[in-house]
Amino acid sequence: MKKQFIIAFISIVSLVTTITSKAQTTATVKITGEVTAPLSLTVADLHQYTQTTVVRKDKDGKDHTYSGVILADILQKAGVTMNRESLTKYLLVDASDGYEIIFALAELDKSFTDKIIILADTVDGKALAPGDGPFRIIVQDEKKPARCIKQVTSLKVLFAK
Amino acid sequence: MLYNYYRLKVSTKYFLKLLRARIIKAVGVWFLLVFSLVLSAWSYYYDEITTGAYHFNYPTNFGNRINVPDNNPTTKQGVYLGRMLFYEPRLSANNTLSCANCHKQQLAFTDNRPFSLGVDQVETTRNSMSLANLLWTRKFFWDGRAASLEEQAAIPLTNPHEMGQSLEVSVKKLKAEPEYPALFKAVYGDNTITGDRICKAIAQFERTLISANSRYDQYLSKAYQPSAEELKGMELFNTGPQPEKGIRGANCAHCHGGVKTYLELFHNNGLDSIPKDNGIEAITGSPGDRGRFKVPTLRNIALTAPYMHDGRFKTLDQVLDHYSDHVVQSESLSTVFRGESNDIGGRTLKLLPQEKKEIIAFLNMLTDKDFVTNPEFSDPHLHSTKK
Repeated sequence: MKKQFIIAFISIVSLVTTITSKAQTTATVKITGEVTAPLSLTVADLHQYTQTTVVRKDKDGKDHTYSGVILADILQKAGVTMNRESLTKYLLVDASDGYEIIFALAELDKSFTDKIIILADTVDGKALAPGDGPFRIIVQDEKKPARCIKQVTSLKVLFAK
Repeated sequence: MLYNYYRLKVSTKYFLKLLRARIIKAVGVWFLLVFSLVLSAWSYYYDEITTGAYHFNYPTNFGNRINVPDNNPTTKQGVYLGRMLFYEPRLSANNTLSCANCHKQQLAFTDNRPFSLGVDQVETTRNSMSLANLLWTRKFFWDGRAASLEEQAAIPLTNPHEMGQSLEVSVKKLKAEPEYPALFKAVYGDNTITGDRICKAIAQFERTLISANSRYDQYLSKAYQPSAEELKGMELFNTGPQPEKGIRGANCAHCHGGVKTYLELFHNNGLDSIPKDNGIEAITGSPGDRGRFKVPTLRNIALTAPYMHDGRFKTLDQVLDHYSDHVVQSESLSTVFRGESNDIGGRTLKLLPQEKKEIIAFLNMLTDKDFVTNPEFSDPHLHSTKK
């Protein structure tokens, strides 16, 4: 009888630990909306893509080197088409604090602009700080940092209605 | 004789006249009585039920990014029913509480308590939220867990420490009331009462709770000239501090910005290093969400004490003191509170006592008397019985 109790106790403890460890899910960015293949990317997934660096001044007034993946590459992987119709599409970016910004899809299209916009996960070779990451959009040369949205959780492609 | 005859004739004439007047009077009184009874009975059920699409009336500067689900368009009859239900104590387990017990109009739909008492006399875990300008809201509750007012409404109705009654029981109770089946028919086309329909109607009413006539609105439409103190407070509210340039500010608008003083953001504002209530972390499991709660609207803020998700601050002075001097550092403290200061190298805002007073003067401009006295938002049951 005692043995059974011990076994039951151990199994309950292990079950609880697996549940709680599962609750601490790895952070992801979800890519949804007008896509053919919705994606859910972890930091490890992001490292499978070609990495690009962007240098940008932060609030401290100093240059920082951000590394990540060009947004257009991620959208291409999700099956977003860049054609005449996509001129009325936009990308809605959501952060975990509720902050939202948008890009017109053409702003992300290499055939329209040389300005690079990446989904970064490192700054100066280190993972982004908890308040900024794990994912942050970095817009090259944009005067205001307001669209360098921190703690990104979702990218959604939508049609302007 | 002639004289007598004449007298008789006159008196008969007079008598007949008197009789006629009496009859007319009596009939008149009875008619009036019956008429007014019928009218009041009729008006009890049908008064004010105009039907058709409900037109939201708000200033253009509020913007049109409104949130009305396609499957619950707002109608005048839906709003009417929703108002009846918002003030309906039969929706609670002991028939004593309605939504309005924790959301009182005169307090901008809050209840002046840190936590509210449910049907079981147990306190809720978070502070009752003001219901203003929900038409533009997309994430409800302190942790933003509900995506619509329809989804939101079901939770306090059924929570055992709030109204504590299943929707099934609510449906049964409403069916037994003479006025409700007909009202549901007017709104939904047939007199079936369901939990879903109850929540939809309540949501329709709540969307009409628009607060857009504060002195701040009047200032924006050039109908009010603020005092020097209010103007200074407004400037501090809207400015981020840059001590190296000699610019002073409180940066409130960073999170409470825009005409609606609401941006639908969720932050850890440094109340505790180890929070008792983990906020959004309890849903996402992400340590970055620890102690993170909704940044609420500041509309009618002078009426909605106590403040914060746990109602820990009794006054706006205490709130200003917190942001100025007592923000607690932690891993999940939102970045907006890190290193924002009016002192070079300061860790907290460091506002002057006078500046706090000025900001509070501006916050008082956000009180909307029309909103808290608008008869269209008041208890319709009281209204009916008073007639």
